[in-house]
Amino acid sequence: MIESILELRNVTKTFGDFVAVDSVDFELQAGEIHAILGENGAGKSTLMNLIYGLYQPTAGRIYVTDRENWRYRLRAKSPRDSIASGIGMVHQHFMLIENLTVAENIALSIGQLRTGVAKSVSENGAYKEWLRKFLFKKEDAIHITEALSERFGLAVDPSALVRSLSVGLKQRVEILKALAVDARILILDEPTAVLSPQEVEGFFTILRKLQADGRAIIFISHKMKEVLDISDRITVLRRGKKVYLGKTGELTARELAREMIGEDINEVERSNRTDVEIESSDSVLQLSNLTVLGDRNEIAVADVSMETYGGEIVGIAGVDGNGQRELAEAIMGLRHAPYGSVSILGANPKGIKAVRQRGVGYIPEDRQTTGVIAEFSITENLLLNVTHLDNLTQWNILNQKKKRETAAQLITDYDIRPPVADTPASSLSGGNQQKIVIAREISLHPDLLVAVNPTRGLDVNAARYVHENLLAQRDQKKSVLLISTELDEVLLLSDRLYVMSRGKLIEATAQRNDIEALGMLMTGETHRDIRDSLES
Amino acid sequence: MKLNVINISDKINIRWLATPVIILASAFVTNAIIMLLCNYNPLEAYQAAVSGAFGNGRKFGETLVKSTPFLITGLSVAMAFRCGIWNIGAEGQFLVGALTATWFGTKLAPIFPQSPWVAVPLCLGFATLAGGIWGLIPAILKVARGVNEVISTIMLNYVALHLVSMMIDGGPLQETAQRGPQSDRIVEWVFLPRILPPHRIHLGIIIAVVFAIILTFVLFRTAFGYQLRAVGEGAAAAEAAGISIVHNTLRVFFISGALAGLGGAIELTALTRRLFLNFSPGYGYTAIAVALLAKLNPLVTVAAALLFGALTTGSYSMQREVGISDKVTLVMQATILLFVIGYSSVQLFRKRASSHS
Repeated sequence: MIESILELRNVTKTFGDFVAVDSVDFELQAGEIHAILGENGAGKSTLMNLIYGLYQPTAGRIYVTDRENWRYRLRAKSPRDSIASGIGMVHQHFMLIENLTVAENIALSIGQLRTGVAKSVSENGAYKEWLRKFLFKKEDAIHITEALSERFGLAVDPSALVRSLSVGLKQRVEILKALAVDARILILDEPTAVLSPQEVEGFFTILRKLQADGRAIIFISHKMKEVLDISDRITVLRRGKKVYLGKTGELTARELAREMIGEDINEVERSNRTDVEIESSDSVLQLSNLTVLGDRNEIAVADVSMETYGGEIVGIAGVDGNGQRELAEAIMGLRHAPYGSVSILGANPKGIKAVRQRGVGYIPEDRQTTGVIAEFSITENLLLNVTHLDNLTQWNILNQKKKRETAAQLITDYDIRPPVADTPASSLSGGNQQKIVIAREISLHPDLLVAVNPTRGLDVNAARYVHENLLAQRDQKKSVLLISTELDEVLLLSDRLYVMSRGKLIEATAQRNDIEALGMLMTGETHRDIRDSLES
Repeated sequence: MKLNVINISDKINIRWLATPVIILASAFVTNAIIMLLCNYNPLEAYQAAVSGAFGNGRKFGETLVKSTPFLITGLSVAMAFRCGIWNIGAEGQFLVGALTATWFGTKLAPIFPQSPWVAVPLCLGFATLAGGIWGLIPAILKVARGVNEVISTIMLNYVALHLVSMMIDGGPLQETAQRGPQSDRIVEWVFLPRILPPHRIHLGIIIAVVFAIILTFVLFRTAFGYQLRAVGEGAAAAEAAGISIVHNTLRVFFISGALAGLGGAIELTALTRRLFLNFSPGYGYTAIAVALLAKLNPLVTVAAALLFGALTTGSYSMQREVGISDKVTLVMQATILLFVIGYSSVQLFRKRASSHS
């Protein structure tokens, strides 16, 4: 019998009324690569954070078998406890200190934790001396890094500065960091999201090596093909629940996509939906051959052309990180597009201010940094749009009375809580911060509204309210571009539908009732692949 | 009438005031211990300090005079910090303002009509502009090349210091008699008027307080100030709203530099009336403590500056009446600075860190 080294029994995690993880059972065997599939918000990250000790379960138990083969209940109060039990995590966003060398970064992770190191690099005695003396010796750190690097076949230059490394190498350092404290369970959160196809191959070789070394790997991904390539078993989560567990290969990609998305999706009530005919032939937004670079100068949006018209909601579905953010920023003039053009109401506004002044509303993806200013009050945040500001000022002086009235009105209309205009945004819940953004952007009834994940983090009623507002925009003959990772939302609201995958925009209005086909498009298969698989 | 201008900017209540009170109490207790160690009676000393700073009208007037440079440079720093710009360059901007006023008062004013109504505003105007332009240097470096303003403004302070010594020590602004490293006295019609001669209370005090009020109004009641603060508190969100980060960064630097430059010109035209080496005993640096103690609120800066003015006059009187050596009073002033900067910056950065997580 293969022993399990990690076991979750009936684990539940709630945040307020929201159940993020709903009595999930999960079991990990030594030497296996176990993939976890699920849509955004399915509870994958929460589950991993529970294992890694960042969160504590509301109910249920976690058992772990440690290096000495002791099996016990894990009650991690922080990652420190989990690390001590042999659990390591490589986050999607690397936790490295860019201005230190590889060896120094690895030394830091060892230094934080004095247990477990002994076994990890026992062939090198230098560390003991160093830890005891509390002195940092560069040579020792380099020795340790070299020893680790050699043992696991993860070549990396110990004295290179982390910031000079490629993303693939940085990831390697992250893995070495986990191995330096002898992690026997490695959680990899969307590890391939940042890698190029060539790097992915090399990365899979590393995973197989670690597997051969007896380490268990939890592999979180959206990408079906990779999951099928690398994993031994697959668990699928949907809305916090485990809906499938099986050996890789038991289900086809199409069947897995169905498990991920669920079949109940077609039954979503399309309330409030009136059929609006597009009367005007003039496009509101027109993108021609738009190509946009991402933060690392990679091509994030590749040669995208599309149009939106007044009186329609155009939905763009897709898994996070496929160029949606970059596309929205390029439309808003926040990101430079080296090729192609963005035309709004027949003009080509340059830069965000010009775009805003043409009456474009924007609900950004990241409300914490781009949507609201934490230090500002609700009122001040409601003004955070040049159009609002212009409406409320005369001779550059803010009309206090009008300002207070507008704020009070919006707070009531959009049910922002607490309904106290002076409250700083930082002391509001995420949902209420989002309501500020929605109130600010929708209440102006812009000709074009670019909404990125507008209901992320909202409860059901608040989300419904946002949906009603988006539909009302459409009914007023305005144009709405809805970019969302919530497929239900896009299907419910859109008149026309696109899927964005690896920077490409694929028209998918025809597939709107074929969930499996949509799932395939979202996970990076093209129409042709689908057709092929249907024929075979 | 209630000052409800304060209410719109910061909620000032007992909790808000707790920090400054704790800072000052701990500084005074520490200083009492220092005095005990040096065999002075702290009670006697504090009594002398209070009576020296506030004892009678004349003494209080002198405290006001000493507060003015702290106030105007404090406003410069508070304004910049409030808008997310860590301008440590008030000292240099103060000196450049004084230098410009000297140039105007010694070289240019003689050819102007001999009327203070023309000469004084022109002189202050030139100095303000010069301070603003000096402030734009780090702004352009930051905007164009991403140079951290903390470093560039500190370095420019030294540039300004040496510029002053270059001009008055063998340079074109050295006094005609060429005896020492100082300028000629500025002409009489550039003197900033004193309100109650022969006392030294001058118009600059009123100018500084007016600017504290204007600054509060601009920052908290106008779209212009709103945009400055928005860029400071959350650049990404401000940008997404259509507010230009570049323009507003330049504006903050210019206004902050201009205020400090005005401060230098006021000090020169109202009090010293000539420029010399060590013209500023570090007003621009103490200004950081003043601004932090006032929690970056322009109106509260008035009170904080008054306190620092009182510390200056109070320490003179401790030297005179209790015979405390000037070394000890310097140590005591430094203690207060350390407490203010230490405590306030911890709070400020903790607040920023928590809002960014």
